[in-house]
Amino acid sequence: MVILRAENLSKSYQMGEIEVKALQDASFEIQEGEFVVILGPSGSGKSTLLNIIGGMDLPTGGKVFLRGEEITAYSEKELTEYRRNKVGFVFQFYNIMANLTAEENVELATEISEDPLPIGEIMEAVGLFDRRDHFPAQLSGGEQQRVSIARAVAKNPEILLCDEPTGALDFNTGITILGLLRKVNRDMRKTVIVITHNSDIAYMADRVIRMRSGMIVEDHINESPMAVEDIKW
Amino acid sequence: MVSGQKKNKSGKGFRLRKTDTMLVRMIGQSKGQFIAVLTIIVMGITTYTALNMTSVNMNNTVETYYRENNFADLFVQTAPIPGQLPEKLENIRGIRTAQGRITMDVPLVTDDGKERVNLRLITTTGSEKELDRSTLLKGKMISGKGSEVMLIEQFAKARGIDVGDKIKIQAGGVQRTLEVAAIVANPEYIYLMENGQSIMPDDKNFGVGYVPEQFGQQIAGLPGNFNEILIRYEDGVDEEALIDDVENALDLYGVRQIVKQKDQLSNSIIEQELTQLDSMADTIPILFLLVAGLILMMMLARLVKKERIKIGVLKAIGYRDRQVLFHYVKYALISGILGGALGSVLGMALAGGMTRLYLEYFHIPLLRIEFYYSYLAYAVLLSAAFCALSGMIGARGALKIAPADAMRAEAPKTGKRILLEKLPFFWKCLSFSSKMISKNIFRNKKRTLFVLAGITLTYAMMLFTSSMPDVMNQMMNEHFKEFQKMDYNISFRSPVGKEAVRDMTHLIDVDYIEGKLEYPFELTNGNKKQAVSIIGLSRDTKFYSFRGAGGEKKEIPKQGLLITENLAKALDVKTGDMILVKSYIPNRDDVSLPVKGIIKQALGINAYMDIDAMGEALLEKNLINGVYADSRDPNINEELIRAGNVASVMSIADTRAVYDEYMTLMALSIGAMVVFSGILGFCIVYNATIVSLGEREMEFSSLRVLGFSNLEIFFMIVRENTVIMVLGILLGIPTGFLMAKYSTAAFSTDLYTLDMSPTLNALVMAGVYTVGFILLAQLATYRKIRKLDFLQALKNREA
Repeated sequence: MVILRAENLSKSYQMGEIEVKALQDASFEIQEGEFVVILGPSGSGKSTLLNIIGGMDLPTGGKVFLRGEEITAYSEKELTEYRRNKVGFVFQFYNIMANLTAEENVELATEISEDPLPIGEIMEAVGLFDRRDHFPAQLSGGEQQRVSIARAVAKNPEILLCDEPTGALDFNTGITILGLLRKVNRDMRKTVIVITHNSDIAYMADRVIRMRSGMIVEDHINESPMAVEDIKW
Repeated sequence: MVSGQKKNKSGKGFRLRKTDTMLVRMIGQSKGQFIAVLTIIVMGITTYTALNMTSVNMNNTVETYYRENNFADLFVQTAPIPGQLPEKLENIRGIRTAQGRITMDVPLVTDDGKERVNLRLITTTGSEKELDRSTLLKGKMISGKGSEVMLIEQFAKARGIDVGDKIKIQAGGVQRTLEVAAIVANPEYIYLMENGQSIMPDDKNFGVGYVPEQFGQQIAGLPGNFNEILIRYEDGVDEEALIDDVENALDLYGVRQIVKQKDQLSNSIIEQELTQLDSMADTIPILFLLVAGLILMMMLARLVKKERIKIGVLKAIGYRDRQVLFHYVKYALISGILGGALGSVLGMALAGGMTRLYLEYFHIPLLRIEFYYSYLAYAVLLSAAFCALSGMIGARGALKIAPADAMRAEAPKTGKRILLEKLPFFWKCLSFSSKMISKNIFRNKKRTLFVLAGITLTYAMMLFTSSMPDVMNQMMNEHFKEFQKMDYNISFRSPVGKEAVRDMTHLIDVDYIEGKLEYPFELTNGNKKQAVSIIGLSRDTKFYSFRGAGGEKKEIPKQGLLITENLAKALDVKTGDMILVKSYIPNRDDVSLPVKGIIKQALGINAYMDIDAMGEALLEKNLINGVYADSRDPNINEELIRAGNVASVMSIADTRAVYDEYMTLMALSIGAMVVFSGILGFCIVYNATIVSLGEREMEFSSLRVLGFSNLEIFFMIVRENTVIMVLGILLGIPTGFLMAKYSTAAFSTDLYTLDMSPTLNALVMAGVYTVGFILLAQLATYRKIRKLDFLQALKNREA
C-alpha cells in the first residue's frame, strides 16, 4: 500500500539574481513499511525533498500525498498538526535540548502528540533506559542520536524522516544507529526514510532513490537488502 | 518491542510541561541576568505600590483629620470685630458655620534671653463643634477663663515642655504665666510654619498655643471682640461669590486678609507634598518598568537568535508558532509576575513605614494605614502585562523562523564598513584595537543605543539628584546673601511713624537700620487674583538688591510696583500692565498701579514699592510697620522682647540653621536616589554586556585559541563600554540640564522658585557615581568571561 506519493515536485530559490533549482520534477511512491534510502551528493536536493515531505517546507510546484491526502495543500496550522502526529524527524546533529534529560527530551515530543508510545518502553527500546536521567552533555554522540530517534519514534508517527543520521558518528556507532532504525522499521512497522550521501547505506534499504542536481535519477527496489551488520564503509 | 498502545497521561499529578522545565533551567543557568531584570522590576513595583498606597493613605488620613476636626474652608483676618458678628455672617447664603477667634503672636520668655521665640496664641471654646478643633494628645481640654494653654505638639516637643509646666509670655507689655494644660495637634498647623516667608518649620522658635476665649481677648486688649473669622461652607457653594459677600459684610470693620483653604499655608504645603507624591507614583515606576522592558526585549531577541535551531526543532516536532513564542514570553512573564509579587509585598511593607513617617513628619494624630490589597493585584497585573508585552516584542523573531531554514546554518552577516571608516584620515589614525572597538560598538547599533540611553539616563538622574543640595544652598545664598542682606527682619504689631526707626537705634545696638512697610493686599488682573504682601522700601535700600530675569539690576521705581516672577505668572501680567490693588483695610478704595519691573526671587511671592509711594497710594504717608537691621548685638532678642510693639524678630542666621538641619534629612533621600539610579545603570550595562558576551562567544573563543587571555578579552569589552560610557555621560549632561529645567517648573511654587541648574560639583559627583556603578557591572561580567568554555563554544553550532 502506498503511504507516500510525490508528484512532479519542484522547488526553486531566488538567490540574488540567480534562480537556484533545488528540486526539479521529482516523482516517486513509497510503500507502507518500507525502509527507503534517498542517496545523493551534497546539493543534490535530498534535504529539500525531506523538508517538503516532512511538512517543514513547501514546494514551488507539485504535490505530496500521505495516504492519499495532499499535504502540500495544507495550511500552516494543518502542517503543524501533520508534523506533530504523522512524522518524526531524526537530525544529523541530533538537535536535542541541552537542558532537558534524555527522557525529558522524549517527553517534549510525546506531550503534544495525540497517540504517543509509553516512554519507558521507548527508552528501553533505544537502549537508554539506564541513562534516561542524563543530560545530553553527559551522553556520547551515539547516545544522543538514540535520544533523537526515541523522540521521533515516541510520537508514534507514520513515517520516520532521518537526515544523515550517521553523518556525525563514527563507523561503529553509525552501524548501531542504523540497526536501531531498522529495528524501528521492522518491529514497529514504521516507514523509515533515510537521506544520506553514503552510498553503502543503500545496501540495507528496501528502496533506493538516487538524486543528482535536484532530480531523481534512479528509483529502484532492492530485492535483497543487506543485514545492517554486514555493511562497511 | 513496543506497540502503539496509548500512554496514560492522567493520574500523574501536576508536572511541568517540558518546555517549562527547559525555561526553569534556562532561568537557573542565567541567574545573574534574571536577577538583574528582576531587581529593576522589583524596584519599579516597590515604588509603585509604596508611593500609591502612601498617597492614598495620606490623602485619606488628611481628609479624615480635616473632617473630624472641622477644618475651616475660609480664614478671614479682620480688624477687631464685635463678638456677635460671626453669628450674623451665618445668614449669608452658603455659609454653614462662622466662628470668631483671636489670633495674636506673642514672644515666649525663655531662660536664654538671646533667643527669640514666637508663640501664636489662638482662642478656643473647647466645643466639639468648634472649627479647627484641636485633638487632645495629652492632658485635658480647656474651656474656662483661666490662664491655661494647650500647646501644639511639635513646639512642646522641641522645647521639652510637658503638661503641668508653666510658660511665660510677654503680652501687651506685661509678662504673663500660662499653665500648660494639654498637648494638642491641630489641622491648621500640620505643617508648623509662622508665615509664607518661612521656608520650613522651625519648631523650636515658633509655636502655637490655644487659650480660653475670654483670657485671649483680655490679653489682646480686645474684650468681647475677635480678629479672625473661620468659615465653613455649605456644599456646592460658589466660593468667589461667597467671599465677595463676606467682604461686603465686613467692609465696615476691615478685612486684613482672606485665605481660602487651598491657600492656607499648612494645607497648601501638604497638598504640594501629596501632589509630588502622586506624580512620583506615576513616573518613577514607569521609568523602571520601561528599562526592565527594554532589557527583556534585548535579552529575548538575542535568545531567540541564539536558539534558532532549538526553535526549528520544536516546530519540526509539531509545536505551534504561538507555543514557541509563548515559551519565550513566559520568561518575561515569570520575571513580571515574580517581580510584581515581590515588589508589591515589599512596597506594601514600605508603604506602612512611609505613611507612618509622613504622619510623624506632619504631626497628624491619626493612624489610618490601610492596606489596599487591590494594589497587589494591580501591581502584579501591571508588571506582568508590561513584561509580557516586552517579551512578545523581543521574542517575535521566533515566529519568523521556518523549521527548514533553522536547520541550515545561518548565513554570516554581511560585513559592512562602519561610518568612521568613511573618514579615511580619521580611521587611519586609529590603532588596530581601537578599530576593533569601534567596529564592535557599531556592530549592534540598537544595543549600543540602549546602553547609551541607559547610561545617559543614569548619569542624568544622578546629576539631577546630586544637584539638589547645591541648588538649595545656592537658593539660600541667593536669597539671604544677595537678594536680601539684613541680619534681622523686625515686624511691629501696629504701624508707627517713620521716626520709630530712630527710636529703635536707642533700643538695640545696630550697624545699619531701615524702615519697612509690609502689608497684605489682594492683587487682581482681570479674573486672576493673588493675595500677597507688598513691601515698601526706601529707594536707596541697602538690604535688597533686585535683579531681572536676565540678571540685570532693577531699581525700585518712584511710582508703581516691582513684582516677583511667580506673581507675574500668577496674575499673567508683564511690565507696563496695570494691577488693581485691593486693600483689606476698611474704607480704602482699590488702587490701580503699574508694573514697572519683574524680578527674580527664590523664596516667597511679593511685590515691592517705594515706601513713600506705597504709604501715599495705599496707606498713609510716613508710616512704617517694621525695620530691617544689621546688628552684631548678641542680645538683640532680649532687648526686643521687652518692646511692646515688636511682633516678630526673624534672624537670618536662625533661618539658615533650620535649613541646614533639614539638609541632613535631605541627604538621606538623595543617597537613596543615587543608589536607585546606580542600580538601574548597573543592571542595564550588566545585561547588555552578558547578552553581547553570549553573542560573541565564538569570537572570544577564537581569540582564546589565538592566545588572548581572559583579561585581555575582558579589557576589550571594558574599552567598548568605556567609549559608550563616556558618550553616555556627555549626553547625560544636557539631559540632566533638561530634567532640571523641567523640574524647575515642577518644583516651583508660590513659596519658592527653584532654579535647578546643575552645578560643577554635581557634574563631577554624578560622573564618579556613574563610573563606579558601571565598573561594578563590568567586574560582574568578568566572572562570565572566566567561565567561558571556549572549546565547547567552538564545537557548538549554535552561536
